[in-house]
Amino acid sequence: MSRRPGLGRRIFLFAASAVFLAYVLAPVAWLVSSSLQRDAEITSRPPHWIPHQPTLENFAAIFEARDKKVTYETRREGDPATGGYIPSTARNLLPSMWNSLVVALSVVALNLLVAVPAAYAMAKIRFIGRSTSIYFMLTTRVIPDIALVVPFFLVIRTFGLLDHLGSLVITYLAITVPFSVFILVSYFESLPDELDKAARVDGCSRLQTMLRVYVPLALPALVAVVLFTFLSSWNEFLLALMFTQTPKSQTMPIVVASFASDFTISFAFINAAGVLAVIPPVVMAIAFERYIVSGLTAGAVKG
Amino acid sequence: MKQFDRRDFLKASAAAALAGTGTVGALGRALAADPIQFFAWSAGVDQVKSHVSAFEAKTGLKVVYGNAPWAQYRDTLVTKFVGKAPLDVLWVSDSWLPEWAEAGWLAPIDGYPQLLKYNADVDDFSTKSMMWKGKQYGLTYYTDYMAFFYDEEMLKKAGFSAPPNTWDEVVQQSLKIKQAKLSEYPLMLSMARETWLIEFLSAIVFSHGGRFVDDAGVAVMQDKKKGAYESLTWIVNAVNKHKIVSPACVEIGELNGLKAFTSGQHAFAMLGRYRVRTLNDPKQSSIAGRVKQAMMPAGPNGKHATVGWNRFYGLTTTAARDKQKAADAVQFIEWFGGKADGKYAFQKLMFMDVGAGFAVKPLFQDPDIIKTYAQYSDIKMYEKQQALAQKKDVISPWFGEWDEVNGTAWQSAVVGKSSIDDALKRSADTWNKLRKQA
Amino acid sequence: MSARAGALRGVFGAPVSRYDQASALWLLAPMLAVLLVVAVFPVLYSFWISLFDLKLTRPHRVPFVWFENYAAIFQDELFWSSVWRTASFTVMSVAAIMAIALAMALLLNEEFRGRRFLSAMLLVPWAIPYVANGLMWKWIYDSGYGALNGILFQLDFIDKYMVWLGDSRKTLVLIANAFVWKEVPLATILLLVGLKSIPADLYSAARVDGANTWRRFVHITLPALRPSFMLVLIYETMMAIRHFDLFFILTEGGPAEASHVLAWHVYVETFRKLSFGTGSALAYIMALVTFLLAFWLIRTLGRKL
Repeated sequence: MSRRPGLGRRIFLFAASAVFLAYVLAPVAWLVSSSLQRDAEITSRPPHWIPHQPTLENFAAIFEARDKKVTYETRREGDPATGGYIPSTARNLLPSMWNSLVVALSVVALNLLVAVPAAYAMAKIRFIGRSTSIYFMLTTRVIPDIALVVPFFLVIRTFGLLDHLGSLVITYLAITVPFSVFILVSYFESLPDELDKAARVDGCSRLQTMLRVYVPLALPALVAVVLFTFLSSWNEFLLALMFTQTPKSQTMPIVVASFASDFTISFAFINAAGVLAVIPPVVMAIAFERYIVSGLTAGAVKG
Repeated sequence: MKQFDRRDFLKASAAAALAGTGTVGALGRALAADPIQFFAWSAGVDQVKSHVSAFEAKTGLKVVYGNAPWAQYRDTLVTKFVGKAPLDVLWVSDSWLPEWAEAGWLAPIDGYPQLLKYNADVDDFSTKSMMWKGKQYGLTYYTDYMAFFYDEEMLKKAGFSAPPNTWDEVVQQSLKIKQAKLSEYPLMLSMARETWLIEFLSAIVFSHGGRFVDDAGVAVMQDKKKGAYESLTWIVNAVNKHKIVSPACVEIGELNGLKAFTSGQHAFAMLGRYRVRTLNDPKQSSIAGRVKQAMMPAGPNGKHATVGWNRFYGLTTTAARDKQKAADAVQFIEWFGGKADGKYAFQKLMFMDVGAGFAVKPLFQDPDIIKTYAQYSDIKMYEKQQALAQKKDVISPWFGEWDEVNGTAWQSAVVGKSSIDDALKRSADTWNKLRKQA
Repeated sequence: MSARAGALRGVFGAPVSRYDQASALWLLAPMLAVLLVVAVFPVLYSFWISLFDLKLTRPHRVPFVWFENYAAIFQDELFWSSVWRTASFTVMSVAAIMAIALAMALLLNEEFRGRRFLSAMLLVPWAIPYVANGLMWKWIYDSGYGALNGILFQLDFIDKYMVWLGDSRKTLVLIANAFVWKEVPLATILLLVGLKSIPADLYSAARVDGANTWRRFVHITLPALRPSFMLVLIYETMMAIRHFDLFFILTEGGPAEASHVLAWHVYVETFRKLSFGTGSALAYIMALVTFLLAFWLIRTLGRKL
């Protein structure tokens, strides 16, 4: 066989990769670049793609901030004329990222606990109300979030969870479960039933079949669910805004938004905050991507 | 097992009861009271926190201070009120007062003379902005107005030694500046749909001597003499005929406009007066040191009027119903909106740190303030223009709804989607309809 | 539902096995508990509110008006233009998402060096918080300093800086672009998961039979991808119809209503006009349309439920 198809394929793949990389990263590259500039430089025309006077002061402001009792003496004159126009809420960014992390991980764990059994049941078991369950799930997600804000607020207030991270965990769970189940059902259904029958012939209960046979095989879908629920929780803004009141429970999107509409504003700083906010999810994604891209495939099924 | 007989039990209970009352008594009023729930938008957070610490130290009362970004503030508050979240004192914008008063969320402070006495020191338009149906609903947090700024150097380069006095002169000077290739769109005007839009529009309308509605509350905006017709025509021509305002103005909001002006792209800008601090700060502005405030240009039938706004401390009806809560909240409002330890401490703090305007006239005489302001602007001009500020005339319970229609209408006229007459008529009709329905 | 075990198929078309009510209910219990407690009340409550003429600035008079709110909405011209805008936004976005995601998923399915790096970078747009994403695009599209203007100007495609978001003809397309950019990673991942479930020997067998790349794609890949495709299509359609954040951050429905979509309309009714009754009714209309759309998609693209 001639060598040329191999080379042509490689060139094509390389070109395609370059295009996609550019599509995905270009806006972000601009985000990173501008986070390393001062505000005065950001408004240059044409823009400085590479900062002419790179500075780490935007990031420094975030890391140096610390929460303490604020008195007349210790207040930060976070403002224009004193040169420190970094918003005073900068000190909340890192703690809020911690809050976001806690919430997101809890939601992921609970999602798996709740969605996997449900999806297995819907995909592999015949029972009355199967199609109803699926449409029921869908129904809880067709109403736009704006209309749900006030009712959700009432529910959370009734439970006494206002300004508590638990409120976010419960709500995000309710929001992400339907689609997690959807993803898993789709994948489970593509796995053959013979495995199920074989396992049960071997004496496994439903639960054991699910855990020992299907779950390991569904790794790519599980990872997709993990990423989906993590990122949905990480990014959610509207409900977090309504349910949290103080920095004790505020999550990262709220704090980042507060930078944008404070009395003073620094675009460079917001971009820096944006860059930081991206890091934990990306780290997580890198850790997990092998399971999606490589994934377990037909080999296991055939055996 | 030891017998726990009745005498032991009685002794134990008595001891417990005594201990209990003793504890409560010792800790006093502070712990027995609920903390004051205070909510604000995220401005001057550290300044607020420091003043809160001072309040807690002085009175022994506890305060729970929360805040939300300005862009989402109103929505957050609406949800809080509807969901009956605990709230005692909050910052309110004058635009929302009638809505929130009618909805039963805010309580008047007329019953508290210790607050009302501060009105004597406050500018009239500011106090009026806090009144609805004859009752006053709070003390000012900060007050300010729409100012007209110009880049002195750019004007000099174009051959002008003085800023424009009328809107016609603005056009003439801009055209010359444009010709000299000093700026493509000499006037920076924000026309994006956001909370600030009504303020930008009102400034132009008032300075043309017009009004949106008359004193009786009937719409006059469509009137060619008394209304907004001249103003809208001026704007439409500025964008489309003279091309001295960028067609991108409909996407530029107040913050972007500020950034644009600081980068030296424009000769004139209409911005909140407090922005002058940023405009003349070398770390944030390429034209620092060159920005001066001029009186708002006058229209052919107008004078140098401008629009002023007011943000104030409001008292919630839930707090007002409970005697103890109300007393605590009123003390808090006085500490922030009135005098703290005999001085207008918070107002001065906000001005010195953040540049926020104040409503209390005595501070204009304060030497620290005069000195600080002189570093970046002219305090006489500040006072002079503030004296001519008018409060918005469209404040009403249906303001939110009308603002949507009006903003869209003016934008349509600017982008050419509708004629000026149609736009104003639509706005006026909506106003009259909503007024009838109320 | 057919009782013949052999003919029984799941949502996504694959056959399912024996009848077992008890196990099913046990396994479903946690999910039902979560949804019933948290999600059902808000859904029902919103519907209840939509039957009243509830204006917050008039709290003492809240008449029960049956379906008058709904009727009023259908007579509102702004509602119908919002429907049109929402429809164009949705169609544009979903088409773009499906096309780009499919291309990327196919690419990532191939073995080549640097694939792992590419797939890790793929997740970055998804990871950016909405607020930062909105502000970033707002900055990129800015007519004064935007990177978009900058790069087009430097490459000589335009001779001076243009108005982007402020130009009502371009607004919706630009917002769609920002939305698509953020949604593509999830769509790609889901399609990739679907691609991974195709046994490799199907391809080798086809290759032995002489089928070229294109035929393998059409006859093996596409049919096997159908369940994932449907999943992504339904999800992205739902997300596009209800999307709010970018409209809020970028244009607030402007300029001159150019980006006034249904989700924004609900927000204006509920939070700007403080008319909760009509706001809820509008939300319910949106919900119904979305549901019907999803239902129709499942029926045509999946097999019989």
